[in-house]
Amino acid sequence: MRSLNPACKFISLLAVTLLLAGLRDPWWNLSAFAVSMFLLLLSGVRLRSLLLYLIPVALAAAGMFFTGYRFTAEGNMPVRSDTFLLSGDSNLMNGITQLSRVLAYAGLGYLFALTTDRVFMIRSFQKQFHLPQVFAYGLLAAWGIFPHMALEYRRTRAAFRARGIRVFPISPALLAPLLVKSVRWSEELSIAMESKGFSQNAERTESTPVRVHTKDIVFTLLCCIMLPAAAFMTHSTI
Amino acid sequence: MGILFDSLTFTYSDGLKPVIAGLSCCIAREEITVLTGASGCGKSTLLYLAAGLYPENAGKITGGRILIEEHDPASLDPPQRCRLTGMMFQNPELQFCMDTVRNEILFCLENISTPPDEMEDRLHASLSFCGIEDLEERTLLSLSGGEKQKAALACIVAISPEWLLLDEPFANIDDESARSIASSLEKLHREKGTGILAVDHRLDSWLGIADTVITMDEGKIIPERIDARHLDPERLESLGVIVPGRSYSPSIPAPVPGETVLEIRDLTVTRGKTELLHSVSASFRRGMIYAVLGESGAGKSTLFGALSGIFPYKGKVLLDGKDIRHLGHKETGRIGFITQNPQDQFVGGTVRDEILTSLRKNPDADAKSEEILRLIKLWRYRDISPYLLSQGQQRRLGTAALIAYDCHCLVCDEPTYAQDRKNTISIMDSLCREVRERNIAMIFSTHDRQLAADYADEILILEEGKLHAVTESSL
Repeated sequence: MRSLNPACKFISLLAVTLLLAGLRDPWWNLSAFAVSMFLLLLSGVRLRSLLLYLIPVALAAAGMFFTGYRFTAEGNMPVRSDTFLLSGDSNLMNGITQLSRVLAYAGLGYLFALTTDRVFMIRSFQKQFHLPQVFAYGLLAAWGIFPHMALEYRRTRAAFRARGIRVFPISPALLAPLLVKSVRWSEELSIAMESKGFSQNAERTESTPVRVHTKDIVFTLLCCIMLPAAAFMTHSTI
Repeated sequence: MGILFDSLTFTYSDGLKPVIAGLSCCIAREEITVLTGASGCGKSTLLYLAAGLYPENAGKITGGRILIEEHDPASLDPPQRCRLTGMMFQNPELQFCMDTVRNEILFCLENISTPPDEMEDRLHASLSFCGIEDLEERTLLSLSGGEKQKAALACIVAISPEWLLLDEPFANIDDESARSIASSLEKLHREKGTGILAVDHRLDSWLGIADTVITMDEGKIIPERIDARHLDPERLESLGVIVPGRSYSPSIPAPVPGETVLEIRDLTVTRGKTELLHSVSASFRRGMIYAVLGESGAGKSTLFGALSGIFPYKGKVLLDGKDIRHLGHKETGRIGFITQNPQDQFVGGTVRDEILTSLRKNPDADAKSEEILRLIKLWRYRDISPYLLSQGQQRRLGTAALIAYDCHCLVCDEPTYAQDRKNTISIMDSLCREVRERNIAMIFSTHDRQLAADYADEILILEEGKLHAVTESSL
């Protein structure tokens, strides 16, 4: 999964997500989740990390299960069980459907996020989706700022404390200094990028050109055509 | 051939006094030139103009011209310009756009349209030139300040510009890293013929490699050129330059040690799996001034960050015998914290608000704030945002605002960072006088050993996660 072209991977997984959104079959969802987990482990993601990532997903899935279990559509409700999310089959089935959706979407999301290098992804999006280079490299530079933001937030809170002012964690008073710093950082970064020869219009060469290989096309075809076709054949309604 | 400033006048905004006023000067490529002078005299602005980053990003040239190797840098596209001038910035945190050292250097090579089959060779040559082959796959976030500056230098070596412009490149790094980078710069100049123009307040790291020192004052170059091998310390001091080995001659009252106000017991700070501070213990008494020295990455900012509540820690920190984690609402702010960057301290919308915030319990706050602002010469700026002040003015405001608050212990993380000699003395004198008069304790960190020797009553060194007391003579 790691060596797949990120743009193809993105389209493919998005297609699977949309397909699952149109289905009302928990077994398809659970299969997507199981395949995602298998591929994640096959791609070298450590089991321990994966289990940690799945904790919030498990909580959300449990929440959705009980929501689906408790609030099943009645026969006289405008949302009919055979056309939309809520199932009239049984409370349990409805709960499992909701739970499996959360697992499937989380599995597919993690499959993309944990097997894709961000620089490779941006380069691929730039090449295959024609993302403007100023936007692509701006995103990469902004990514580098994120780890500093948490520290800056703590610093700003400490500055208030040093003046004897206690502020709530989400106090608007904290926003003004943080916004000013963000603007200052983006200016400095933009100047630094310019000083290294980056220009939004100039032609650039590529150290490792991001190409679409046969395996990328096969994966995309599998996800975008073969899976929907299989789903169509096994379900009367999509 | 070289850099020519011809009757150059530059202002940040119409109606404001020009920062560069009719400046004329020629800098030869055959020499390593250090440009120095008082804070706010226009040195960095001149460097940004030479790099072609101004006026494109700020301000306006109202007269004269700049030529680098007979090209106007502002008229060139960034890819062409970076082959003419490379720039190394003061803040190593904010000069990278990619995730790893390797990707950053490749980013630079791609920008100048280097053929892909040449990239690997140039990448490895630049890493090897800077002696950082082992950092190739490291993430930039995981590097120390010194390593980041070396990575920035490797980027410039990869691009191989005709001129290298440096804006206080050693301000954030320890002496050893500074010396190592300085020797790489000298190698770059001697072996590749790269012209070097550096802006710096401190000459320590340039001694032995610089050929010429030129000074600026109020937007103009002082005509006399100083041979870097025959420096006149008194003349340089009069121009605001920090000269190695010259005392700051502090004018502060003698210490009268009081009772212990702050006590650190077995303080341990870990980040990820790395233990940054290991079981640090120390006590600090009222009326005393303590300097904390240490290499870059030794943990000085981590120690101060733990004291100010930025970083979680194990162990105990007692203020007047009470654990600072259990201080009540009324005791918030008993530890005043002066940060390396004054902007990290601002909490008010205007300059006056900054002072009033500290004085909010004072019934005579309005009159007192006026008195303080007049004293630090910022009264005329009272209604503007503190972020619009110059760096020297911001530092004065930040210090005055903290002093105005009733703290029992002042923790100052490099309070004289990037300040010239005059401002350094002014800041340290005012801080130290407050410490004596109000009988509070002050702990400050610095890379400047002379500053520690001159102002501190006790000097501590942070090494391998431990804090040791040292004598002045052992520095």
